[in-house]
Amino acid sequence: MRILYHLIVLYMTIQLVWYLFREKNFWKQASLVLVLVLFLLRLFLIE
Amino acid sequence: MVAVFVLLATVFKLPMGISLALSALAGSLAGGEGIALRHLVEGAFGFFDIILIIASAMIFMKVLQESGILDSLVAAILRAFYKNKILLLLTVMLLIMFPGMITGSSLAAVLSTGPLIAPVLIKLGLPRLKAAAFIAVGAILGMIAPPVNILVMIMGGGVDMPYVGLTLPLLIITVPPAVIIALWLGTKDLRIVSREEMQFLLPASLREKYGFRLYLPLLVVLVLMVLQNFRIGPIPDLGLPAIFFVGSLTGLFCGRRFNFFKATQKAMEEAMPILSILAGVGMFVQVMTLTGGRGWAVMTFLALPPALLYLSIAVSMPLFGGVSAFGSASVLGVPFLLALIEKNALITSSALSAIVGIGDLMPPAAMAARFSAQVVGEKNFFRVLRHCMIPAFLILAMGIGVLLLAPLLDKVI
Amino acid sequence: MKTKHIIAGSLLLALTLAVGFFSGREFLSMRQDDEIFPSSGLTAKKMLSDYFPALKDTAGDTEVFIFDSAAKGGNLLIVGGTHPNEPAGTMTAILLAETIRAAQGKAVIIPWANASGFTHSDPQEGSPQRFFLETPAGRRWFRLGSRVTNPVHQWPDPTIYVNPMGQKLAGIEARNLNRAYPGKATGYLTEKVAFAVMALIQKEGIELGIDLHESAPEYPVINAIVFHENASELAAIAQMELQAEGFEFRLEASPPNLRGLTHREWGDAAGIKAVLLETPNASHGRLKGRPTISLIVDGKDKYYEQAARLGRLFVPYGPDGIPLKLRVARHLAGVRAILASFNELEPDKAIELADMPSPADVQAKGLGPFLK
Repeated sequence: MRILYHLIVLYMTIQLVWYLFREKNFWKQASLVLVLVLFLLRLFLIE
Repeated sequence: MVAVFVLLATVFKLPMGISLALSALAGSLAGGEGIALRHLVEGAFGFFDIILIIASAMIFMKVLQESGILDSLVAAILRAFYKNKILLLLTVMLLIMFPGMITGSSLAAVLSTGPLIAPVLIKLGLPRLKAAAFIAVGAILGMIAPPVNILVMIMGGGVDMPYVGLTLPLLIITVPPAVIIALWLGTKDLRIVSREEMQFLLPASLREKYGFRLYLPLLVVLVLMVLQNFRIGPIPDLGLPAIFFVGSLTGLFCGRRFNFFKATQKAMEEAMPILSILAGVGMFVQVMTLTGGRGWAVMTFLALPPALLYLSIAVSMPLFGGVSAFGSASVLGVPFLLALIEKNALITSSALSAIVGIGDLMPPAAMAARFSAQVVGEKNFFRVLRHCMIPAFLILAMGIGVLLLAPLLDKVI
Repeated sequence: MKTKHIIAGSLLLALTLAVGFFSGREFLSMRQDDEIFPSSGLTAKKMLSDYFPALKDTAGDTEVFIFDSAAKGGNLLIVGGTHPNEPAGTMTAILLAETIRAAQGKAVIIPWANASGFTHSDPQEGSPQRFFLETPAGRRWFRLGSRVTNPVHQWPDPTIYVNPMGQKLAGIEARNLNRAYPGKATGYLTEKVAFAVMALIQKEGIELGIDLHESAPEYPVINAIVFHENASELAAIAQMELQAEGFEFRLEASPPNLRGLTHREWGDAAGIKAVLLETPNASHGRLKGRPTISLIVDGKDKYYEQAARLGRLFVPYGPDGIPLKLRVARHLAGVRAILASFNELEPDKAIELADMPSPADVQAKGLGPFLK
């Protein structure tokens, strides 16, 4: 189960980073940062 | 903090998520905590699970759309119920409530069966915004209805009340509003159509081509949701994000072919505003707590004279629910439940859960309204809220009524 | 310009990584364990995984301190840190482990029962990560954790948690050690920890178990002895003894339909006399003002003071607050009274702990002077 969730978070992190570089509106990019931090910290099992 | 938030969001027109995050940062600086980075991130993590649920549910929604499954399902419902208005409305209400009833989350309801219900209602003549209101309010009623009410579980956890014997009180609170609201929102606009007209309205169904397979993704999601109520045998406790993911992957093989990566990108794009708002709200709440602002707010409501207790319940619980219904249940629900301790806790917690549930319509988060607006393709969720007002007041009245009548109900049930 | 959003994206990614790095470093600092300096009365130090090997090398494993006497008597278990955000429980267990010697029978102490819960803080509570006490050897720090297991160690939460006794609870409770008893060998990490404690109870022949907690001042079960029905006489005698010493304690019977808690399942499943002690802690309440270190240690809070005046609390809360030293003193008095009561009821299984600091001394001087 843990591995499954790890994969889900990994997939979404990749998607988020991809989206960060695809989005042209700066504020939308900036909003994404708030979410991406969480995914990264969970991906590396820090928090 | 609130002032900074309003300034950023209205004058500078920054996105809500960023405005919340920046005002949290301002609060932390003004409170002498410096740039409390750990606190900001920790607060946002309070909503990480919900963020994960929304993101995966959005992917599931996109999959249903892209694969043509959604259209086919809508066609099937229309075919089955187009003749009888009342039966249709009540069935549709139950359908929208169902995922909420088994997961305790209004969001799960809006995002799983919502996209199915909306086109059905709209095609039969219900205005778009009313259809959205129908879904939002139905989802909230589903969240409150038994068997699973997480709000009561949270409040019960705070007073050591086991989650037992709640089915009846919760049914009393949810069934009458569900019936009344379904009929009230629907009867006037919904048309009975002829068989020919119905055929004309039907979206392109892939039923012929793919057969029963089309229903599989939704069926998988609903069955897995039901199963998590029991911890049995080899079926693992998947949790909503994984359930939606399994559903999405099933969708890959059950309808029209599409690009999964691109579908996810679209889902991310649509989900991003609410995801960043949730992260921002989490930061805001944490800094509020850190600077003592939360304690001040809770104490202000609790300090009102007893005569105003019910009024303060009716105002503060939905209001705080605008930040998070679950948060409101924990932070305000527990003290209020304790303030009403002389009454039957099963009844009062059920009533409080109905009141706090309305919070899912309140800005800034307004999860139920925001997503039902998205489901019907409406950008401004405030326009949906207008149609939710009367149903919301009905639920609120029901909740307060049950609180007031608790001693009487206690004898009856 | 075409590349503008790429540059912005890169800068924002760098910002994300920086925020992640600096906050992550602070989060990770919680993984460093507190230090403990057991008294010379210590006869064995074990790990919880010695009783249930599947726990080895997991975040659920934790230290177990055993104080055995040569003299025949009963066996006592003292558990702190079931809820890592209730510091008086943990601190009492640490204080006992650093001072006592068993004169008769045996005492087993687990100070950080939910070890994983000590490695993070409850989101949106704004709690400090640690607090400080002055001891003869200098300043020592102690972690203030979260009520529940770290999601990094047990993830994801189910939507609805059905505990080992079949009770349905909100999903997050799957990480609450005090809902997970009697545990499950193949279950969640938290259930494995509970399972290991049950195995310890059996292997060490425990006859009396005391679980040390704190509760928010607005919570009705407070300043209380919660007892399993097999310990009702024990609790009643202890209460009278405490009253004579000037400590008011409520008696609360463990509700038979509230499952998964120590005071229920230790009694039901292991058949030991099980009690749980509660003291009032403002720092994990809902009405608290600023959640500072001083709130933990000195326990002063203006909103709780106001709530007490309005009759919203179940304990008096004056301007002097309810400091940690008083809460630990209450726990010590509770442990002492329960032991005395146990010895009176079961003289052939008597347990005598020597060199235990007196509650009055701790209340007067604070914990620091008694720690190493």
